[in-house]
Amino acid sequence: MLHRILAIVRREYMERVRTRAFWLSTLLVPLFLGAVMVIPAWLAARGGGTFTVAVLDLSGRFAGPVGKEAQKLVNADTEKLHVTMVDIAPGPDPAATREKIKGQVQAGTYDGMLVLPEGLPDEGQPEYVAPNVAAFKLLSILERSVNKAIIADRLTAAGLDPAKVSKLTRRVDLKTLKLGKKGEETRDQGQGFLLSYGFVMIMYFSVLMYGVYVMRGVLEEKANRIVEVIIATVRPFELMLGKILGIGAVGLTQFLLWALVLLALTAPGAAAAIGLSGVELPTLPPILLVFFVVFFVLGFLLFGTLYAGIGAAFDTEQEAQNFQMVVTLILVVPLVLMMQIINQPNGALSVVLSLVPFFTPMLMFLRMTLTTVPAWQLASSIVLMLAAIVGAAWIVGKIYRVGILMHGSKPKLKDLVRWLREA
Amino acid sequence: MDPILQLEGLRKNYGDHVAVDRLSFDVPTGSIFGLLGPNGAGKTTTIRMIMRVILPDAGRVLLNGEPVDDDRRRLIGYLPEERGLYRKMKVLDHLVFLGTVRGVPPGEAKQRASAWLEKFGLGDWATHKVEDLSKGMQQKVQLIGTILHRPRLLILDEPFSGLDPINARELKDLMLAMREEGVTIVLSTHVLPQVDELCDHICLINQARPILVGRLDEIRERFGGRTWEVEGGFGREELERLPQVEAVHSLRSRYLLDLRPDAAPRELLAALLELGEVTMFARFVPDLENIFIRAVEEDQSHAA
Repeated sequence: MLHRILAIVRREYMERVRTRAFWLSTLLVPLFLGAVMVIPAWLAARGGGTFTVAVLDLSGRFAGPVGKEAQKLVNADTEKLHVTMVDIAPGPDPAATREKIKGQVQAGTYDGMLVLPEGLPDEGQPEYVAPNVAAFKLLSILERSVNKAIIADRLTAAGLDPAKVSKLTRRVDLKTLKLGKKGEETRDQGQGFLLSYGFVMIMYFSVLMYGVYVMRGVLEEKANRIVEVIIATVRPFELMLGKILGIGAVGLTQFLLWALVLLALTAPGAAAAIGLSGVELPTLPPILLVFFVVFFVLGFLLFGTLYAGIGAAFDTEQEAQNFQMVVTLILVVPLVLMMQIINQPNGALSVVLSLVPFFTPMLMFLRMTLTTVPAWQLASSIVLMLAAIVGAAWIVGKIYRVGILMHGSKPKLKDLVRWLREA
Repeated sequence: MDPILQLEGLRKNYGDHVAVDRLSFDVPTGSIFGLLGPNGAGKTTTIRMIMRVILPDAGRVLLNGEPVDDDRRRLIGYLPEERGLYRKMKVLDHLVFLGTVRGVPPGEAKQRASAWLEKFGLGDWATHKVEDLSKGMQQKVQLIGTILHRPRLLILDEPFSGLDPINARELKDLMLAMREEGVTIVLSTHVLPQVDELCDHICLINQARPILVGRLDEIRERFGGRTWEVEGGFGREELERLPQVEAVHSLRSRYLLDLRPDAAPRELLAALLELGEVTMFARFVPDLENIFIRAVEEDQSHAA
């Protein structure tokens, strides 16, 4: 029996791994994820540049302090940012001067114009006019320097020493430490969470994608009429099993390739070699990677089996759509529940939800990235999933056996129930 | 020699519809056995039950005297009526898959598949995808897949459907060559001239029931043995009056005379010579179509 199932596994595996689609998706996903992770870090790292800002000070006394604060901030910044503030005299007709400078900004003489209204510090709102208002770094420096200058002015007017107040009211940052199983404390500034979120999404897409592959594979066998030749040789259940295992192996191969890419990137010196030095790549503990694979395998076996049943029951993807939608919705539920789990990873609801076999692959894995899941919960979730897989295989196996030779009329739910009783 | 395949009281119902009813017959080893019947008679259901693609409600199937189970059925080469191939697979890979799934080691399967492809003139197509092949070529690939594991019993369900005359000729030659090698072939069809040409045994199924089973020459004898084809200087009414004659049928300018069981052909000829000149007196050999129609008619009149 084994060598025949293996022949089917081999065919499913080889025929898929050889396709261009497989290699494209294997290459593109890490490229995409890499871009999502690296580009923001890279952009943040190169917020530099040289800017010339015209300062039109109608109040007559804030241009100086604002310029000074801005210079302090620019100097404090380690990146290559140069800001030159050019004071413009308002002249007899401030409105005309504003229009004139606006023209110069448009012409490119200045990168932008900072307008400090007459009523400052009590009335009026400072304005920054520029063609590019998305230069975040510059904007943040301008905003902070205007704020500092005006607040300092107000403090002085109230008889307080700005330097003293600033010292007294300086921010306190909360240091977040993740407490591990053995009492170790690790620094986590949210990259860990982002990464686990990313992994849950990968889990979702992988289970969905490979599940639908199973369904399409079964539909294809029905459509091109090869199925009877095969089930005259192997049992329908063996065919179903071989197909699910073969396609699952393709998924694991893809993960393995991705893991190798990741390993290469995190190797010492590799990041620097491709110009990503200074970009901190978040890391996931190896034990989580192992459980990611475990939960993917369990989730794929469960959903792959359900999709196989849908493929066997119908002739075309259009006909299968309603049932496919139901299964896909079940797969989406954990995504909707993610926030609940994130807020209270050990809450009663979170524990119960993560023990539901359909949700376990994503929610239990998510909890593992957030907290230390008790061993009994982990073990029960795996046992429950295995039970669900066996149950699904038992039911779907019957539908498969009858459905795979049926074609013509589209079966209704009651037909499926009848098949269950007949098989 | 013992029959290679025996069907004993097979029955299959689909709800109220009886697809196959109390079907029993033996397939002698080394024969080409025709499973005949109009569309919907139950031929494909019967074959699917032999192959355990569907399971019978009652009865059993014996192969070499032992019940067919999921392992033993692999000794049979089966070409279903609904046959196809994975369109995206390469021809040789596909054949190796069909071989290995039936238990042939991959290397061996590859060798045999290449040899058959050469023999069928498809050697150059081995590395092409199935979908690049013409329909006739695909049917040859299906056939190679069926015989790759060297089965001693072949079951072919409507193998000629969709074949052009040249390919049909090739298939017939292959079947005859395989019989020479001792392979038994069960052939289901509703195209009767092919059966006349190939089969030595038949089972005729009508409305789920077998109505005629046996050696084709014996069946011919039964249906034509007492019928004589005559031509000469006499008319129908004169012939009907002859005491030796049970019934008279016209056949163009000739007549078919059914002889009474107690009369000898010699007596009939003597009586005819009394009537006038006899230009033809020959035993009538009915073709299968004749037998088929008469058997179905008789079956229905029995039923009625």
